[in-house]
Formats: sequence, structure tokens, C-alpha cells
Amino acid sequence: MATSVLQLTDVRKSFTMPGGEQVTILDIASFSLAADEHCALEGRSGSGKSTLLNVISGIMRPDAGRVIIDGMDIARLDEARRDRVRADKLGLVFQQFNLLPGFTALENVLVAMSFGSGRPDRTRAVRLLEAVGLGDRLAHKPAELSVGQQQRVAVARALANRPRAVLADEPTASIDPAHQQQVIDLLRNTCTEQGVALLVVTHAADVAGQFPRRVRLEDFNRAATVHHP
Amino acid sequence: MTLLGIAWRNIRQRLLTSLLTALSLALGVALVVATLVTGGIVKQAFESGSGLGYNMIVGAKGSPLQLVLNSVYLISKPIENISWDFYQQFLPAAERPDGVDGTFSASTKTAVPICMGDYFRGFRVIGTNTAYFDRLTIGDGRPFAFSAGRNFRDDEFFGGVLGATVAATLGLKPGDPFAPTHGADNGKVHDPFLVTGILARTDTPVDRGVFVNMEGFYLQEGHAKPVEGETQTTAELEHDHTPTGPTRLPFAQREVTALLLDTASLPGLPAELTAMGLRTAINEGRDGQAALPIGEIRQLLDLFVRPLELLLLLVTTLVVIVSAIGILVSMVGSSLERSRDVAIMRALGARRSHVLVIVLIEAVLLAVGGGLAGWMLGHLLVGAIAPLITTNAGVSASVLSAAPGAELLLVPLLVVLAILAALLPALAAYRTDVSKWLQS
Repeated sequence: MATSVLQLTDVRKSFTMPGGEQVTILDIASFSLAADEHCALEGRSGSGKSTLLNVISGIMRPDAGRVIIDGMDIARLDEARRDRVRADKLGLVFQQFNLLPGFTALENVLVAMSFGSGRPDRTRAVRLLEAVGLGDRLAHKPAELSVGQQQRVAVARALANRPRAVLADEPTASIDPAHQQQVIDLLRNTCTEQGVALLVVTHAADVAGQFPRRVRLEDFNRAATVHHP
Repeated sequence: MTLLGIAWRNIRQRLLTSLLTALSLALGVALVVATLVTGGIVKQAFESGSGLGYNMIVGAKGSPLQLVLNSVYLISKPIENISWDFYQQFLPAAERPDGVDGTFSASTKTAVPICMGDYFRGFRVIGTNTAYFDRLTIGDGRPFAFSAGRNFRDDEFFGGVLGATVAATLGLKPGDPFAPTHGADNGKVHDPFLVTGILARTDTPVDRGVFVNMEGFYLQEGHAKPVEGETQTTAELEHDHTPTGPTRLPFAQREVTALLLDTASLPGLPAELTAMGLRTAINEGRDGQAALPIGEIRQLLDLFVRPLELLLLLVTTLVVIVSAIGILVSMVGSSLERSRDVAIMRALGARRSHVLVIVLIEAVLLAVGGGLAGWMLGHLLVGAIAPLITTNAGVSASVLSAAPGAELLLVPLLVVLAILAALLPALAAYRTDVSKWLQS
């Protein structure tokens, strides 16, 4: 059994609503992801999927509990250290790709490297883009790339700092069904090649069905009521 | 990719806005640089009018400042002339004709006469004698030097020496003839003089002077003072003359515009007191006035130049502040676009301090870029108006003229203000809500 790259224990996260009401979004006793594991996390819209990803990535701090990334409890860290852990240990892929529009494909990967502990490695950035089939699009800006190519840049960028895990938030939601399979294949194959764990958040059952491990957030989130914080 | 590289890419991403911001900065800085340099040139030129080998100017009664500006800086109009007899009262006994009283000679070490009123292609012609270059200095006691040729001799009535700017502008060299005009550039053309020497550059108004032997100057038409009851012409006069040269103008028909005086120390009196006494004595008389160049210029600086400097400083400060506000407006204007980029970078692991520094670097790059472009533009502007400065202020200026102190402070000051102006958008970037922007 591979060691856990991600371990959540007794994690709680609440928000105060405009009326002053305190609403708990996450109440998770335990959740883990092994070092080489590929997992699909299903959940309805408003079930707390994005909040969970924000907590795992350190963008949000839980109110309670432990969030252990590669052996380090980021719930105890201050924001700057959580940022560093996010940069070094995690790769994020967003639904809208969220590429920097003024930067080329290569620069988008290099920017991610800038915030990690290591020095930006141009050679590695080029290799990553070549690995996702964009070796001839290095100098193209996002607007000059197709949707599929933009998603490839996002995957390459997520792997820029040799992360232990890639977190993908609805990576197929903005893509037509014909290309959804390509994106899932790309993510899984690339993460396998790089030896990186993969957690894909999705509401699409057909996407979740392609993963060896498939979990529903509602099944382990005790605050399972659907909210829209 | 470094934070500097990211900031630079952000600037290029908003190229038009960035260019317009930098351009407005550049124009502001150019204006400030041009104003500072021009003001500095004029002030420096006035302050350099000391240590010239004379400490007093004697001329016709009128404005002492006008006398100084005309005699030392070769600007403004001559007041009137003083009589030859009055001039001779300053000369030592050996140089005075019999019967002429040497009232002021004991207090005078050197008295160099100058006669003005003629021009040569925009430059002033000064009639003088050899003592101008032999006894006077160019400042701090340094003697005149010739880059070509030599001083005219006493008996070279039609010899002339050109200042460095004159020679360079008109392309004249020793041996070349030049014919001054009377009263103005379009006045009657006088007899030609021959260039005997070109002065090495002095960076004083002398560079713009055309100096001719006053004996030749006197012989030009319209330069002889009419003598009551006589209608003589210079050719008909039979006074002192050289064996081979033309006849000198009689003393009775001579006047001088001013005397450049180096005062002596009377026995038992310090030089300053002698000068003050001489000045009082001259000013109490009817023949002319004495002015102290340093005192007049100090007064001019105190009355006009320093308040003007303060005003310029105020304008400079305002322009730089407006430029900094330009950066603020530009950055606030693009803050919406920036917020999304900041959120993406934060999601990739950028710390709040990273995005804050990136925004500040953008402001610094704009300030440095705009500032340096403006600095160069300002100097080009000075270069463009240099001929105007030279003509009107009587001092040399070029694209390389500088106001070192103020100029060196300008760009750093702009950078500090740019950082202050960028603090607001930088703090906005610092506080960007990552999750909100990523979900929107």
C-alpha cells in the first residue's frame, strides 16, 4: 500500500451567511489519497466540492481538523507557508483553465515554476509541453490556442513543480463531449507518467466511472446539505 | 520566470495603457528636465561672472544692472558712452597725456576700455585693446588661451579675436576677413577686419564675442564723436598715426562704452575698502557710474532667479506628482483585469507578497522607463532650444548641459512616488479573494 499524499482528519469548514447564520459546508471525518492513486470525487453542485479543493490546496484554512499534504499539516501553517506547500506539492487544473492571457504557453508553465522552491527550469517546461503535444505551440498565447490545447497547457502547468498530487476541478465541464475523453486520458496518462496522484472533482458520472477509485462527497461529508456559499 | 519578468509581461499585456502612462511620465519629466537644465545654465552663467580679473565696471549713468549685463554678459543694450577724458583719469601717469588729471589712477590696477554697438552676423563686436586678453582672465584667475592664432597687436588696427562659439558657428579662422555692421545686423557694413586669433573655449559670454582693436573700431563710420564747430572726417585728421598704418582717431572724438576695472589697494586700506571708496567717488561725480558685477548679479539672483528657482521646484514637484497619479490611474483602471490574473497566480502558489511586489515592480518599471525616456527627451529639448538660450542669455548650452543635483534626484523621486501611487492597487492585489475570482 502506497503512503498517503493527502490525509484529511476531522476537517470542518463553516461560513457566515449574510444574515449572520453559520452554515457548515464541510464536516469530514477522514479522507485520504495514496501517492499513486487516481480518484474521482463526485458531488452535486453546491455540495462543497470547491470548498474542499480550496481547503486541500490551502487557499482556505479549515476551522478545525488536520489537512496533511505529503506529511505536513497545512491547517496549522500560516498563509505564506500554505502558499509554498501549494506551489511545491500540488498542481491545480481549473474548470476554466485559468491560463494567464498575456503569457505564452511556455510562460504560463514558467510562471508556476516561479512560485515554487526550485528555480524556473525552461528545459523542463518545454519537455512538459512537448509531453502534452504542444511542442510546436510554445510561443502561442492562450487566445491563439484551441480549447483542448489550452487544457493541455493547464495540465503541463499543474505538473511544473513536480507536485505530489494534481487536483482537477471539473476539468471536462467546459469541453464538448467529444473532447472530454481526451482530457481525462491526458490527465491520467500524464499523472501516471510523472508518478503523481490525481484527484478529479466532477459531477459527471461517466467521467467518474473511468477512475479506479470513485467517491461521492455526500458519502463522507457529514455536512451533506447542499449549500451555495 | 522572475517576478521582474512577470511584471514586464504584465506591462506588455496592457501595452497601450502602459505606453500612454509612460508617455505622460516622459513628457512631464522632459518638461522638468528642460526647465531645470535651462534654469541651471542661466544661473551658472551668472554666477561664473567672478574672478575675471576685474571687480568693477565703470560706465554711463543709468541702471547698474544693465551696465553689468551689457559689459560682462554681452546682453541687454549699452546705456550710453563715457568720455575719453574720464577714462584717462583711471590710467597711470605714464599712459596719460599731459594735463589730464589722474583722479582715480591710484585706486586702479587695470582699466580695460570696451566700445560696443556693432554686430557681426548676430554676435556682438567689442572694441578694446590688447590688455583685454593680456591682463584679464576667464575666471578663477585662469588666463585667456588661443586655440588658433594670437591676440592682435596694438598697431594692428584692423585685427580681431573671435570667441570660440563665434568661430565655430561662422567657420572663421585666423587670416579670414570679417566686416562688422553698425548698430544692428542689417546696419551699414564697416571696413573689414582680419582674424588674428581664435580663443579657446571659456564657457563664458566671451565665447560669443567678436573682439576688435578699438583703434580700428574708432575709424569706422559713425564711431567718431562729433566735435563742436568742426566737421572733420577721420581721414582728414592728422593726429597720432603709425608710420605705415592709418591715422588714429583724435582723443577728442573718442568715447568708450565702459571700463573693466581691477581696483588697487590704497596704502593702509584693504582692497575692499578701496573699491568701495572708488565706487562712491565715481558715483558722486557726474561723469559716470561704477557697478560691482558680483553685487549686481547677487541682487539679480536674490530678486529674480532664486524665487524663480523655487517656483520651478514647485512646478517640478507638481508635475512629478501628477505623473505618479497617472500611474495610479492606469493601475486602478486595469485592476479588474489584474484581479483575475492575481487570483490565478495565487492559486499557483504565489504568496500575497509576490503579487504585491509584482504590482510595485510594474509601477517602478513604468516610472524608470518613462523617467529615463523623459530625461533623454528633456536633454534633446535643451539641445533644440540651445541656440535660443545662447542668443538670449549669452551663455553656451547643448544637449549635454545638465543640472546634476536636481536631475540625479528626479528619477529616484519619481520611483518613490510611483511606489507610493502603486501601493493602493498593490494592496488591492494583496487582498484579492482567490476563491471568489476562481469561481467567477
